Amino acid sequence: MLPTLNITGDVVLVEHLSHRIGKLGSGDLVLVRSPLDPNRTLTKRIVAMEGDRVTFSLDPTRSFSSRSLVVPKGHVWIQGDNLYVSRDSRHFGPLPYGLIEGKVFMRVWPPNSFGLLG
Amino acid sequence: MGTPSVLWNVAKKCFTVGVISLTVSDLFSSIVPVRGASMSPTFNPKTNSLLESLSDDRVLVEKLCLSNYKFSHGDVIVFCSPDNHKEKHIKRIVGLPGDWVGTIYDVVHIPEGHCWVEGDNLASSLDSRSFGPVPLGLVKGRVTHILWPPNRVSSIERKTSRNRVSPS
Repeated sequence: MLPTLNITGDVVLVEHLSHRIGKLGSGDLVLVRSPLDPNRTLTKRIVAMEGDRVTFSLDPTRSFSSRSLVVPKGHVWIQGDNLYVSRDSRHFGPLPYGLIEGKVFMRVWPPNSFGLLG
Repeated sequence: MGTPSVLWNVAKKCFTVGVISLTVSDLFSSIVPVRGASMSPTFNPKTNSLLESLSDDRVLVEKLCLSNYKFSHGDVIVFCSPDNHKEKHIKRIVGLPGDWVGTIYDVVHIPEGHCWVEGDNLASSLDSRSFGPVPLGLVKGRVTHILWPPNRVSSIERKTSRNRVSPS
């Protein structure tokens, strides 16, 4: 999630209300349960909501190989900010909305990058 | 007289009971009504799918299994629908990650972190045959007992169909 979040050591505040009342949109940083391992949680950014068309390339170093699809109902498309190393919806497909656990809205540690995120 | 303090005491007790029961319901177990006939004859053997009625089965759902998401073939689980996170479904786990499950048309490999669910009443069940493997993160609990109606109180047994599932 570089450059938004550091590789390790950041402490962020997550609120668990927005996803319950449907106030999430594209561009939000969210905490999700991994579809590949239910014991892990991931932090990614929502790029597209259900019904949106998303265009992506599996290999960002080769810009001419791109695919496009429409996000199905009840799902969102998440991507990490560091496209080169992130494993996200480009690899495991659209994410069911029920796997979203919360929205990241603020970073509290390290102190020199204290502030609102997203 | 002492009415405001009586009301305050009652309010405090209600709040405490509310918080405790919410915690128990979230972390340990809760009681859930079963709608629909997709799990006949295990639940709701007499179908009355148009009316939400008192004769619906009520089942005990335990949430302790969510600490490590370890399930077995034949477990009955409650999970959020992949198409609509506000709906919950109750189905039986037929395939676990790595299994190969046979449907009418082909054989499906269950990816890591997902499971294949089917209702016991295959004729009228919306399950993995329609919406594909379900991520285990969507599971909200496992059904252990039927609590209502009283003549059908029992524990739920694991039922597996070994002829359609090839384990990893």
